[in-house]
Amino acid sequence: MTVKGFFKSNVFKCLVTLLCVLLVSGIFLTVMNGLLAVSDQERLDRAINKIYGKPVSYTELAVADYNSNATIEAAYKIKDDGNYLVKSTGKGGFDNGTITCWVVVEISGTSISGVGKVVIDSNKGQTQMAELKDSFLNQFSQGYYDGIYYATSDGFFVSNSTKSSNAVCNAVNGALDFVNAQPGITGGTEDVYAEFDYIDNIETKQTSHIVDEENNCVIFTVVSKGYNNPTNFTSEITVNAQGVITAFKIIVNGSTNDSYEDKVVQNAKIFVGKNLEGIKAILNVGESYPVYPGDNSNKFPVSGATESSYTVYTAALFAAANYDKILTVGEPELPDGGETEEGGNENE
Amino acid sequence: MATFIAIVLAAVLTNNFITVKTYGICPFLGVSKKTSSAVGMGIAVTLVMVIATLVTYPIYTYVMVPLGIEFLEIIFFIFIIASLVQMLEKIIQKISPSLYGAMGIYLPLITTNCAVLGVTELVIGDMSSILGEGVAMNIGWAALYALFAGLGFTLVMIIMSGMREKLNYYKTPKALAGFPIAMVTACFICMAFTVFSYISL
Amino acid sequence: MNKYKKITLDGLIYQNPTFMLVLGTCPTLGLISSAFSAMGMGLTVVVILTLSNILISALRKVIPNAVRIPCYIVIIATLVTFARMFLEKFVPDLYDSLGGFLALIVVNCIILGRAEAFANKHTVPEAAVDGIMQGLGFTVALTLMGIICEFFGKGSLFGLQIMDFKIGMLAKPAGAFLVYGLCIAVFTFVIDNIERAKRVKANKLARENLLKEVA
Repeated sequence: MTVKGFFKSNVFKCLVTLLCVLLVSGIFLTVMNGLLAVSDQERLDRAINKIYGKPVSYTELAVADYNSNATIEAAYKIKDDGNYLVKSTGKGGFDNGTITCWVVVEISGTSISGVGKVVIDSNKGQTQMAELKDSFLNQFSQGYYDGIYYATSDGFFVSNSTKSSNAVCNAVNGALDFVNAQPGITGGTEDVYAEFDYIDNIETKQTSHIVDEENNCVIFTVVSKGYNNPTNFTSEITVNAQGVITAFKIIVNGSTNDSYEDKVVQNAKIFVGKNLEGIKAILNVGESYPVYPGDNSNKFPVSGATESSYTVYTAALFAAANYDKILTVGEPELPDGGETEEGGNENE
Repeated sequence: MATFIAIVLAAVLTNNFITVKTYGICPFLGVSKKTSSAVGMGIAVTLVMVIATLVTYPIYTYVMVPLGIEFLEIIFFIFIIASLVQMLEKIIQKISPSLYGAMGIYLPLITTNCAVLGVTELVIGDMSSILGEGVAMNIGWAALYALFAGLGFTLVMIIMSGMREKLNYYKTPKALAGFPIAMVTACFICMAFTVFSYISL
Repeated sequence: MNKYKKITLDGLIYQNPTFMLVLGTCPTLGLISSAFSAMGMGLTVVVILTLSNILISALRKVIPNAVRIPCYIVIIATLVTFARMFLEKFVPDLYDSLGGFLALIVVNCIILGRAEAFANKHTVPEAAVDGIMQGLGFTVALTLMGIICEFFGKGSLFGLQIMDFKIGMLAKPAGAFLVYGLCIAVFTFVIDNIERAKRVKANKLARENLLKEVA
C-alpha cells in the first residue's frame, strides 16, 4: 500500500474518526472537570452541613482531650449560632471497641445549654449497633442536665447493647468536657471535689454525691479513671457517718472482658464494712496514693483483673477518705441535708 | 495473613459480587442454564477481572493520579477492558484452540459485564473496610481481591446453574417461565448467602 | 405521528427495557431497595440515553462501521463521566446513594443496545424520542419496584417513615430478586391477556364482517 493509498483507505478513516471522538471527549471532559470539580473544602462543608442539618459557616478548632474516656477527633465552632460541632470517639464499648459520634453542643451565652444532636459516625468492633436507635440518641438532647451522662440511668442505657451505649455516653461526655474547656465558655460543671483527698485517679467533674438523710449516710457516684487497659468505672458507694463503706455497687464496668468484670465485682465486695484505714490496709499506700499491686504483699484477694480492681480501689479510697467533708460527723441524730451539702461545697 | 483471609472471605462470601453487590447479573441470568457453560463463563470472567485489575490499577495509580486526570477513569478503564478482551480472545485462539472452543464464545460478552468494570472501580476506591486498619492498598491486594471476587462469582454461577438444571424437570406456569423463575431461584441463593454476613473479622 | 406513537408504546410497554427485555439488571437489583435512588438512577439513564441516542444518530453517517462500537463506548463513557461530575457537584445526595452503579451505567446494556439497535438506523428526532421513552420505561419500572421494596422492606416511601412493620429481606438483594422476578411475571401476564383479548376481539370482528358479506 502506498502512502497515498493509506490516506485514502478505510483504515485511515477509522483511525481518524476514533481519534477525533477521543479528542473531543477528552477536551469536553477536561473543560467540564474544571467547571464542576468538587474541592476538598466543599466536601468538608457538605459533610458538616449534613450533620448539622443546615448550611452553616464554621471555624475549625484545635483538638485536645479533656477526658480520659474519649478522644476528640475534630471540632468546629459554628459561626451562625455559636454552637460547637465535635467529633468524639468514646471508649469502653463492647470488646474494648469504640464508637465515634458527631455531637452538636448548644451554647447559650457563655455556657453550654444542651446537646443539640448526636449522630453516630462509625464504630470499632460493636455488634449491636442496630439497638442504638434514634430514640436513644435523641435522649441526649432531651435530658440534658449538668453536662454528664451515665450509661446506667435516665434511659441512657440500652439493654442488649449496654457496652455500646456506654461508649456513646463517653463520646458525648468527652465532647462536653472539650467544649467546657474552650476559651469563652464558663460555667459547665463546677469542680466540687477539687480540694478533696485522693482525687488523682477520679474524674472529679463526672463524680457526684447525694446525702441520704434518713440513714445519715452519703452516697457517692464516683467515676474513677481506668488504670491502663480498662476504661472508666462508675461506682455507687455508700459511706455512713462513721466512715464505713456500707454498700459498694459497680454501675459502669470498664473491664475489657466478662471474666475480668466478674473478678472486679468479687474484689469490690471486700470494701464493704471497711473504713479509710481498712481500705488503706488492702494495698500499700505510698506517700499520698495507693501503689499499684506488684508484689505478694500488695494484692487483691481475687487474682486477675488487677488493673480494673485498682480502678475501683481508688474509687473506694476516695469515698472513704472524703465522707467527712460532706456529712456532719458526730451528730448522727439530726443531720441537715441541705446544710451538709453546702458544707461540702465550701471545701472547693 | 489477616488481610489475606479478610480479602478472601469478603470477596467470596460476605461481599459476594452477585448476592450482595449485584454486579454481573446479565451473565448470571443469561448463561446459567447449564453447569458447563456457567463454569466456562465464571472462569472467563475471573481471568478478565484479574488481568484487567493488574493493568488498570497501576495505570490509575502511577499515571492518571500524578497527571491529575482521574476524571477520565471511566473512558480509560472501559477501553482497556475492551481491548484486553479482544487481545485475550486472539491469544487463546492462537495458543489453545480447545480452550478457545470452551471459553471463546463467552469472551466477547464480557466487555459489557459490569463485574469487570466494577472490580476495577472498586479497587481504586476506598477499600479500608475490607483491608482493615493501617493496611495500604497495593497491586497485590487488588489482584487478589479481583481473583477471589471472580471465584465468588463463579461459585454462585455454578450453584445457580445446578438449580436451574433441576428446574427443567418441573413444569413452570407460563408467566413465570424464563427470567421470573430464575430470579426467584436467585432470591433463595441470596437468602442462603445472608448467613455469611454474620462473619466478622 | 404514528411512528412516534409506536416508539412511545414500544419504550414504555412492548419493549420495556426492564420488564420485557430484562436489560440493565445490575443497577435495577442494586438500587430498588430505595425508591429515591431507583428513581434517581432512572432519570440519570433517561438523560444519558437521550443524549447518546442523539449524538450517535447524528454521527451515524460519519462513523465507519468497523470502529462504531469503540466510538459508541467512548461517547457513552464521556456522557457518564459528565453525569457523574454533574451529580457530585449539584445533587450530592443522589451521587452518594447511587455509589458504584453510577460508573457502571457505561456497561448498562440498555444504552449500548439502543445505540446498536435503534439510534444508528434512525433520524435524530426519532432517536431522541426513543431515548426518552426507553429511559422513562426504565425509570417507571425502577421507581415502581423501588416503592414496593422500600415500603415493605423499610416501612418508608422516598425516605419518609410510614409504618414500623417491615420485612427486612425485601430491602436486600434477595428481596430485589424476588420483587423483580414477580413484577416481570405479572407484567408479562397482563400484557399477554390484553393481547389475547385484542386478538379475540379482532377475530370476532373479522368473523362478523365475513358473515355480513356472505349474507
